[in-house]
Amino acid sequence: MSGGLRRALVALAVLAVLAAMPFALGEYRTTLLLPVFGYAIALLGINLLFGYGGLVSFGHAMFLAIGAYAAAVSGTVLRLASFEAALGLGVLAALAVAIPVGALCARYTKIFFGMLTLAFGMLFHSFLFRLYDITGGDQGLRVRRPTLLGFEFEDLDKTEFLIGPFYWYCLALAALLAWLMWRLVHSPFGLMLRAQRDNPRKAEYLGVEVARTRFIAFLVSAAYGAVGGAMLAVPTGLADPELAYWTHSGTLIFMTVLGGFAHFAGPLLGALTYVLLQDQLMTWTPYWRLVLGVVLALIVLGCPQGLMGLPALLRARFRPSATARPVPAE
Amino acid sequence: MPATRRSLLAGAAAAPLAGLLPMPAIAQNRPLRVGIIAPRAGVAGTVGEVGLRGVEFAVEKINAAGGVAGRRVELVIEEETSPRETTERARRLALQERVDVIQGIVSSGVSLALGPVLEESRILTVYWDGTTQDGVNETMPRSRWVFRSTDNECEAVMGSLMAIKHWRGQFVTVAGINPDYSYGRNNWAAFIAFLKRFNIEHRIVAEQWPRVGGMDLTANVAALKAANPDLVFSSMLFADLPVLMRQGHAAGLLEGRKWVFPAAGFQHTSLKREFTPAGMIFGHNTLYFADPQASPLAREFVEWYHAKTNDWPHWEADRAFFAMEVWRRGVEKAVQAKGASAWPSNAEIAEAMRGIKVVSLGGPGRMRRDGIAEQTFTQGPTVHDPRYDFPILDPAKITKLDGRGLQKPEGGDFWKWIAEAQFDI
Repeated sequence: MSGGLRRALVALAVLAVLAAMPFALGEYRTTLLLPVFGYAIALLGINLLFGYGGLVSFGHAMFLAIGAYAAAVSGTVLRLASFEAALGLGVLAALAVAIPVGALCARYTKIFFGMLTLAFGMLFHSFLFRLYDITGGDQGLRVRRPTLLGFEFEDLDKTEFLIGPFYWYCLALAALLAWLMWRLVHSPFGLMLRAQRDNPRKAEYLGVEVARTRFIAFLVSAAYGAVGGAMLAVPTGLADPELAYWTHSGTLIFMTVLGGFAHFAGPLLGALTYVLLQDQLMTWTPYWRLVLGVVLALIVLGCPQGLMGLPALLRARFRPSATARPVPAE
Repeated sequence: MPATRRSLLAGAAAAPLAGLLPMPAIAQNRPLRVGIIAPRAGVAGTVGEVGLRGVEFAVEKINAAGGVAGRRVELVIEEETSPRETTERARRLALQERVDVIQGIVSSGVSLALGPVLEESRILTVYWDGTTQDGVNETMPRSRWVFRSTDNECEAVMGSLMAIKHWRGQFVTVAGINPDYSYGRNNWAAFIAFLKRFNIEHRIVAEQWPRVGGMDLTANVAALKAANPDLVFSSMLFADLPVLMRQGHAAGLLEGRKWVFPAAGFQHTSLKREFTPAGMIFGHNTLYFADPQASPLAREFVEWYHAKTNDWPHWEADRAFFAMEVWRRGVEKAVQAKGASAWPSNAEIAEAMRGIKVVSLGGPGRMRRDGIAEQTFTQGPTVHDPRYDFPILDPAKITKLDGRGLQKPEGGDFWKWIAEAQFDI
């Protein structure tokens, strides 16, 4: 069996298992998977920059907030009940912000790129927080229950809506966007992105337009963030400024590192693990933040490739000939 | 009727939670489960801890008296954090822990987000300090399942009335230093509206909007000092209030002018005498720990709290006690109405809670028909007392006002109410 076919079968199996989850898990655990899908999509975008492009953004929560506010504005101000309209509006708004921000940030790398994205993220947070009349200030904007593909599902209460139609809609969207991202990172564009990450000068010499490549990755990443943000906002029913706060950007990076930024599926596993881990820790102890911090420290020190790198690490432990040193995303 | 995915998922287990069906008789033998959501870290962490003490006291008393309608009460506690995370915690309490009621919530941002989710999911909820107001406007005027606390502006209304009562004619220039979010902005606007309502000649010389939880207020203090107002109104209430007091004292801002802190009670024991002068108007909201007219129950609580923590409680304990009491009385009323045949549904309990009167730690209160609480508020000018290392209210000048006189009536407009209502000062 070829590697491609094996991967496709594994992906289909995972998809089938996830699709059956509402029948196997209880209502609550099924609702927990909704933020996983939202974060997974956003993290696919972030990892395009981080894992494949070598650019760590500390302001990416801004694009999740844009998606969430687009869902709010679409439903309450524009009176467009359709979730597809909210997603479209979110992507357009994210691109409108990402074009000037990305044009500036893509000229820099490393700490300068990180600090610039952090600055723009906090600027956007201030905008959301201060402009009460437009954004609702600290109270944010309410996100109404949307229609999906024109269907209202009005006979379902909110929980039934979330664990039924909305769950499968989000799963399908996440699968579609993951497939598109897979195609992208394995296209010539993906090769150029990795080339500029590994050796920008050499890539430029070979004809890669480095700044343009980074800029396009930034735009794609922003669009993915907006879609993820819109999906996060529906279960909560609110778009609030904290979505854009720098600590939320930190959480996104945490999830990516947790899952393993060197692997395509790492961010997806990171989102799943983070949401479930946080849920359990919050139930067990009020000091859950401390435990999360320790987990991050342990992963960075003991398993820098994240959870996806764990099998290789264990192989290396038991088979000295195998290697577990960090490798960039391929 | 054929079984559908929906009916399988919703199932019989979810129906009692939703209040659609009476609980089976066997369920009456199990304890009643109360889900509590309270902040346990960050800027409101101590507020949540005080509220949890109020719950602990209430449940101790309830269980010692035989429970609620014969059923013991047990608590399931979750942390209030961001709107998204707290919504997940509320769903966990309802769907996983199968609690009978959810109580708690301090942050307006969280309670606003949570309100529609809980209402749509038909989860019986009583907020401690949370609101469903967008600014001063009610967003859920006909909520069936969500019962909320008094209007956020009650303390500002009372603080404004107190300033006018005690200092009318003694100030012209006024300034505000209020937290930079809707609560602070609405409170300041309410204060100015009251000055206009009572034809108080005034001139605004400074408006400062520090970030909530900000620990460096030197620029704000300097701006106030430069403006040199006769009176300063501040609805700061979190850990930044002692910072303002310390930095204001160091800069010589506090002395020689009048101060109104309608929500200072949240930080009362942190406002030490060495940097907090007497003669300010302090609001203790719905619980003043040293109230000379306190009920035996309130005195018992204050002593119990002090013995446990070596500290003095503030109003969040009362809000938590009030929420538990409203629910307990609602359950008992619904059980009585139902008779011995079956346990009442949550819908029947919610209906029984409307209009119910209770005596809370801070005084009498009630749950209005529209699901909004009305409670007794306490404010007054401060004095220094050698028994305490922080200012307390002057026992001779303590004012207690019924909540009915401090918040707009059912369905009313806040600004119109200020302009037209009769206020007894």
